[in-house]
Amino acid sequence: MHRRSFVRLLAGAPLVRAFQLPSDTPPLRIVSSYAASAAPGMPGPYPGRVISIKSDKCVDTSTGAANDEIVREMMARGMCALTGAATTVEAWRRFFEPSDVVGIKVNCGGYPHCVSAYEIVAEVVRQLTGVGVPVSQIYVYERFQNQMDEVNYAPHLPAGVQFVAAERANRNVDNGGYDPATYLEADFFGEEDTRSNMMRLVSRRLTKIVNIPNMKDHGATGVTGCLKNIAYGSFSNVARTHQRGKTYTYSVVGALAAMEPLRSRTVLQIMDGLRGVWHGGPFARTTRYVFYPRQIMVGTDPVAIDRLLLDIIENERRAHGAISIWDRSPASLRMDDTRARDADPNVNIIIREPGHVEYASKLGLGVYDRKRIDLQELTV
Amino acid sequence: MTAALLFALSLPCVVSPPGSESRAALQAAGVTQLCAEADLAGREALPTPGTTPRPGVASPTRSPWIVASGWRFIRHPETKYVYDVPAGKAVLAAAEAFAYGADAALKVDAADARSLGDMLKFLQALPSVDLPAVADLAIVDDGSAAIGEVMNLLARRNLLFQVVQAASPRFPINITIGTPEYPRDQAADPSAFALKIRRELGDDKRALRVYGSEVVICRLTGDAGRARLHLINYGGRDIEGLRIRLRGTYAPGDAHVSGVGRVPIEDHVVAGGATEFSLARLTTYAVIDLNVARGF
Repeated sequence: MHRRSFVRLLAGAPLVRAFQLPSDTPPLRIVSSYAASAAPGMPGPYPGRVISIKSDKCVDTSTGAANDEIVREMMARGMCALTGAATTVEAWRRFFEPSDVVGIKVNCGGYPHCVSAYEIVAEVVRQLTGVGVPVSQIYVYERFQNQMDEVNYAPHLPAGVQFVAAERANRNVDNGGYDPATYLEADFFGEEDTRSNMMRLVSRRLTKIVNIPNMKDHGATGVTGCLKNIAYGSFSNVARTHQRGKTYTYSVVGALAAMEPLRSRTVLQIMDGLRGVWHGGPFARTTRYVFYPRQIMVGTDPVAIDRLLLDIIENERRAHGAISIWDRSPASLRMDDTRARDADPNVNIIIREPGHVEYASKLGLGVYDRKRIDLQELTV
Repeated sequence: MTAALLFALSLPCVVSPPGSESRAALQAAGVTQLCAEADLAGREALPTPGTTPRPGVASPTRSPWIVASGWRFIRHPETKYVYDVPAGKAVLAAAEAFAYGADAALKVDAADARSLGDMLKFLQALPSVDLPAVADLAIVDDGSAAIGEVMNLLARRNLLFQVVQAASPRFPINITIGTPEYPRDQAADPSAFALKIRRELGDDKRALRVYGSEVVICRLTGDAGRARLHLINYGGRDIEGLRIRLRGTYAPGDAHVSGVGRVPIEDHVVAGGATEFSLARLTTYAVIDLNVARGF
């Protein structure tokens, strides 16, 4: 069998040439047989437009419990504002039709204190079924089954919704859930396995994806928002991009998010800011670094949302007297010492790369310039 | 109960001291050819194959240190070896020795009798194939421990080499330690040295690549018409969806997987002068036989 592949070296692509990559960045070889759709989902029909819906009542900060009714109202207001539709169902019809096979990319890495909220995931499922998408064509997905099991969305969702993980756990022994023909290849640190493959579910089954990240700090990328969640949550073997205080996430997050068919199929971003993590992310094993932005952001542009997230996490860290996510000082670096990082918000384990958001904008994934971001704030 | 249960694996011919309980256990498991303790005299001892985590250096699950003896077999094919392995390791040791055609005896734990018997039956049932080893580069063996460690690191990166006594024009890369290209002080860091060689060779030009695991070491043999690939999984867990890239064009073939049987390879593609395919499941050991394809 012959394979017709679109193979390109990102570092040499005209699109990227105008934006200088760090000199030590290895070439990123993209292999995919999927062509972009006429109107790729990222940045989608609303580049630069973000709707932020806030509510003091959405989470009880003393218990961490979310209010289901308020969350529904926040999402309904946000979707209508984003699309200009008069009704919620009309707003969702702008993105989905009954024949779609829809993936919901959740984030389970922040269990137990900051994962994609049950209330938001349930509302997405409710709206999809309202549009006419059968529950059997709705897939909640993550990379690791053990993380999905911990969070356990099933009791919160209608029977028949599918749950798919690519691997049982982060042990690098089961690759069957990944597409061998769709991958990014690069040699970062001399690792032997130089490929990161897209999940088969994404490349071969889904027609649309809803991305539901959380508002979290991240030890390698500065923040983990829309871009990081959809990119590193849909590909194999991505932890190899950081090692011994150095990370290549600056370019790889955007490169993965821009790969087809992921880019074309990810049509809606719903940033779950009911709860957040201002340090120690992407994990949230204790409540020490949990905070409550009490907002949801909706849009189709992952860069614009993540640009706002950079400020949210930075401001929260500043309020706690922690070093900036942009800090590159060797004095702050305790390489690979996660215990020190967890104990002290002024410790980095990696020189972080929050610039990955701006880099993604250069790949055409969205608008980074704050002045060009059309932020509409609503209150419920 | 640990006993001196011994057998030779240059061929699946095994001899054991008579009268031991373990002999009965082995025979019950189908291990019928046992060798004697006296046969161990003069054999070179081998380390127990497997992996050991390297805390602080790499994730223990992603890039552990592999203890493997394939490079020793390549370097000294005429030497006779002996493994003395704890329970749970006999199968891996047997597979490793078989893959390289080594003359190795095993001292095993009686608890491994059944699994070892199954492995030996599997090895005996494999189609007999005798092909020369494929190599991308040559190493001039100066007899030093340093060059041995370089061989070790090359082998665990699946960089296929042939040991020579003098540089050979057959290979694009000849490694002679102590030359300006390969100074002795560089070889003092074998891992960095192996990486340097890998990058000189270029990944696209390598005869073999493995994706989806860093605990699988392969031996590739072949000629103008066919190839046999041995895959040894040192990680202790089955691996699903292992991806292999071989330089050259090969038709789809079958894999013989220990504990599984004969299964077709999956997602076979030929592109850019190379063949790629996946193995749905790799247990401890697998052999894949492929024929060169025409018309691709």
